This record gives sequence, C-alpha cells and structure tokens, in this order.
Amino acid sequence: MSDHGSNEPGPQVQAPRKSYRFLWLSLAVLGLSVFALRTASAAQAQGADPAAAQDLWKTIGIWCAAFMTLGILSFLYKDNPFYKVCESILIGVSAAYWMVNGFWSTLVPNLFAKLAPATVREIALPDLPVSATPGTDMALAFVPLVLGFMLLWRLAPRGGWIAVWPLAFIIGTTAGMRLVASIEADLLAQTVATVRPLVAFDKATEAFDFWATVGAVTSVAGVLSVLTYFFFSVEHKGAVGATARLGVWFLMITFGSAFGLTVMGRITLLAQRFEFLFKEWLGIV
Amino acid sequence: MHEHNGSGSPSFLARLGGIDRRWIFLAMGLSIALPILLKLRFPEYPGPMAKATFDAIESVPEGSTVLVAFDYDPASAAELQPMANAMVHHCASRGHKIVFMALWPLGRQLADKAIEEVLLEFHPGLRYGTDYVQLGYQAGNEGVIKLMATNVPEQYKTDTKGTPLASLPLVAQIKSTADFALIASISAGYPGAKEWVQFAESANPEAFKLVCGSTGVQVSQLLPYYPKQLDGMLVAVKGAAEYEMLVEGKYPVEKNAERLGQGRVRMGPQLVAHMLMIGLIILGNIAMVAGRSRGGAR
Repeated sequence: MSDHGSNEPGPQVQAPRKSYRFLWLSLAVLGLSVFALRTASAAQAQGADPAAAQDLWKTIGIWCAAFMTLGILSFLYKDNPFYKVCESILIGVSAAYWMVNGFWSTLVPNLFAKLAPATVREIALPDLPVSATPGTDMALAFVPLVLGFMLLWRLAPRGGWIAVWPLAFIIGTTAGMRLVASIEADLLAQTVATVRPLVAFDKATEAFDFWATVGAVTSVAGVLSVLTYFFFSVEHKGAVGATARLGVWFLMITFGSAFGLTVMGRITLLAQRFEFLFKEWLGIV
Repeated sequence: MHEHNGSGSPSFLARLGGIDRRWIFLAMGLSIALPILLKLRFPEYPGPMAKATFDAIESVPEGSTVLVAFDYDPASAAELQPMANAMVHHCASRGHKIVFMALWPLGRQLADKAIEEVLLEFHPGLRYGTDYVQLGYQAGNEGVIKLMATNVPEQYKTDTKGTPLASLPLVAQIKSTADFALIASISAGYPGAKEWVQFAESANPEAFKLVCGSTGVQVSQLLPYYPKQLDGMLVAVKGAAEYEMLVEGKYPVEKNAERLGQGRVRMGPQLVAHMLMIGLIILGNIAMVAGRSRGGAR
C-alpha cells in the first residue's frame, strides 16, 4: 500500500510499476511476433494458392478480434495499457458506426431522398424507387427538416428555447403512440390474463389439474400481494402488512430469477468468446 | 482484521472472506473453458415454452408465409443466433416461406448469416423471391411495426437488393402483418418482442401466431405475455438448446449438424459455471454467518 502521508513515493511503489510495465511490454512483443509469423506464413501460402488471399485477411481479422478479446478480459487482472487501447477502439468504432448508420439509414432515405430524389439516386442510392407523389413527399420532408434544425438550435449561444418545441413534439408523439399500446397490450390484456379460474381442470380429460391450480393461485396471490406492497394509502400493518410482506417475497424471487437469467446470458457471451479463441484463433478444438 | 484459529494463523473461513476476487475470475474462466475444451455435452429436456414455440410453427399450414425479425446485434448473437438458426431450419423444413427483416441495424447481417449458413446450406433448392425474401433493416423502432401492422409496402418499398416488393411473388400480396401466418421476433431488447406484442399483436390479436426468442436479461419483461399474447417463447440459450433438440428430432440433417447445435454446445459451460457460482454463494454465506457468530467485523 502507498503511504498517503508522504509526498515522495517510496521505492516499494516504483518497483511494482516497473515490473508491470515490463510484463505488459513483453506480452505485446510476444503477441505481435506470433501475429507477424502467422501473417507471414499466410502471405507465403497466398503466393502458392490465389484462394489464400482471403485467408490472409481472415487471419488478420481473427488476430485483431483475439487481441481485442484478450485485451478487454485483461482488465479482470488489472487495469493496463492493452485494456485502455481496446476500450478506446471499441468506443471510437461504436460512436463512428452509429453516426454513419444514422446518416445512411435515417437521414439519406427518409430526408435527403425526399428532398432531392434525383441527386440521391445519382450519387448514393441507385436503387431508390421512383415516388408517385414526389411533390407531396418533398413538402412533407420539410417538416422534419425544420424540426431538426430547431433541435440543433440549442447549440447556438442564443435562442435555446427554440429547441424546446421539437423536443415537445418528440415527447408528445412518443407518449401518444406508446400510451395506447401500453394500455391495450399491458394493462387490459394483462388484467384479462390474471382474471382466471383458481381451480384448473385438464382440458382433455376434465380431471382436476393440481399443478395448474397451484400456478393459478400463485399468480393471483403474487399480483395482489405485490400491488398491496405498492399501495401506500393504508398503513402496512396487520393483514395489509402481512400481505405486503408476502409481496416483498414475490418481488425478491422475481429479482433473483431475473439475476439468474442475466448471469446465464453473461456466461453464454464468455463461452462464445472462448469458443472463438479455442476454435478460430488457436484451432485446438 | 482476520480471525485466528488459536494457533496464530487466520482461519479458513476468515481467509475465504478476504480472498482476492481474481481467483474467482480465474475459477469462473476455467469452469467455462474446460467444458469447451473437453467438449462436455449434457442431455436437454424440452420445456413447455420450447414445445409451445415448436408447436406454433408446426401448427401453421405448410407453405404459409412467416416473418422472422432479427431484432438483435452481434453483442447478443451468442445467445440468439443458435435459436435463430434452428428456427430458420425449422420453418424451411416445414415448408414455410420466410420473410426476413430487422429492427436493429446489424440484424440484417445476422439474418444474412442465417440465410447463408443454414437456409442455403440445408435447403439449397429454395429460390429467392418465391421461397424467401430479405427485407433488411428499417430505422424507426416501434414505428416500423406500427406501420407494418396496416401497410407493409409503405414501410418496405424494396428488399435489400433494391427490388420493389411488387416484383417479388412471395411478398407482392402482403399488405399488412395480418397477412403473415406467424411472426417470430428474435429479440435482445428495444425494439423487439415487447414492441411486436404491443404494436402488432394488439392491432390484430387473432390474425397470426406470435413467438419470440429472448436474451436472458429481458425474459422477466416478456414472461407476462406468455401464453396469451405470445404463443411460444425461447428463453435464452437454454431455450435454444431445448428447441434445437425438438427441431433435430423431427428434421435431422446429415452433415454440418453442429450449425444447428450451438445452443447445446454452450449449455456445457453453463452447467459447470452455475455449479461453481452456487458453491461460491454457499461458501460466501457460510463465511459471513461464521464471521457474525464470532463477532467479526465482516
């Protein structure tokens, strides 16, 4: 541990830093050497077999992917330069990708293609279909164009209030669209799904179905007790308190199962990266 | 502060409470790596939700047009691509016509991958335009679904190759989502299966069957929709493995079968890693209780 009371770092602080720097440098040199060797052998194979040209690029791609995977995983041991490099590349590539994606999938086909279809067809989208109503399309496209400029106005030193209007439009339309869907699919449909017979019978044999009955009772008890827990107009004591405590149990079990499923997902992601490293990079599986 | 066992050295439980977490990372890494290296496989027994998904696709008449939405990107492909591959093979084997689309930008590339590695590999006789069509990605999130619920040609004017939908026999007559016999959303979040329920199923509740495949993270959000609003649901890689068993049982393939068994391959590491986690949770709790009973600080 470093001495917080001293302004001068002691020798016991400097020594581990130097050794770690040497460790990371050694790992970088080792990795690059093996990479160069593998790339050179692939390039040599390319001369003998023209089909190997693709393999050369695939080799480079696999090595880059392996480096990125190991670089990110190395953070589990300790923060280090490899991790910083990989993290920066990931952030940079992601930001650039989403910017380019937004431009080509939203602005070009939904705005520019309607404002200037001939130009867009000539320089960007040769397969752009010809609209039957280009005048109407162009007129309607001016609405998002103007709203877009108004939204960007918040970057200007004055007149920030102008950006509030398109923001209000976005919030209003989104709320309106989602409100109806939520009421239909969540509130009404879920209420109907909850109101069901507590004693269940098998549809085919009409015999008493014990486990379906347990499921129905548990479901209704869970809904009512959790709703009681979030009902704050009555003090949580006596019967209401007991029901609310049951609701807490249902909530805890729900959170636990959600956590378990999340863990399962994360383990799958790690397993897939290991599969990549063992199969495609090292070729040992 | 460590507890001592009387001989001056910290007790096992005290040392366990203060273990460097990197040892746990290493143990977790080994628990996942070793089953992959040793190719551990465990039997899977299909659950009711995987069976319901399988039955929903089976119940649709042969030759029906189904819509498969790839609503995820490579970050979730480890969980979802196995079930997507199995579902594409299942639909094609059943004789359904498949329309591919995506609500996520990179979903299109993952659909292309499924077409290349599964559809064309195991069903080489299928023809583009009459047996399957790739509509690709459209920006707009739930707005895309909302418009498709009433007017598919307005939302998708062309396929990914720039061919007008009217020129493709498979989709020329498709007017709305109600014209599909079944819709499947392989979903990793927003927009995804939840939006398909809210904006497509709610608009036409009885018009088509709706099934979904989901990542583990968002399963708890989707479970309330099953079985009333979702006819079937594949829960993470476990659901994929169960579904693969059902598909392989009825529609086996002769070669490259591993492409339809990735979910089962990833269940080996799952089992070992979960056993490790359960063991660590139990040990951690024992250490905590022991520490409390001895009046320890931790």
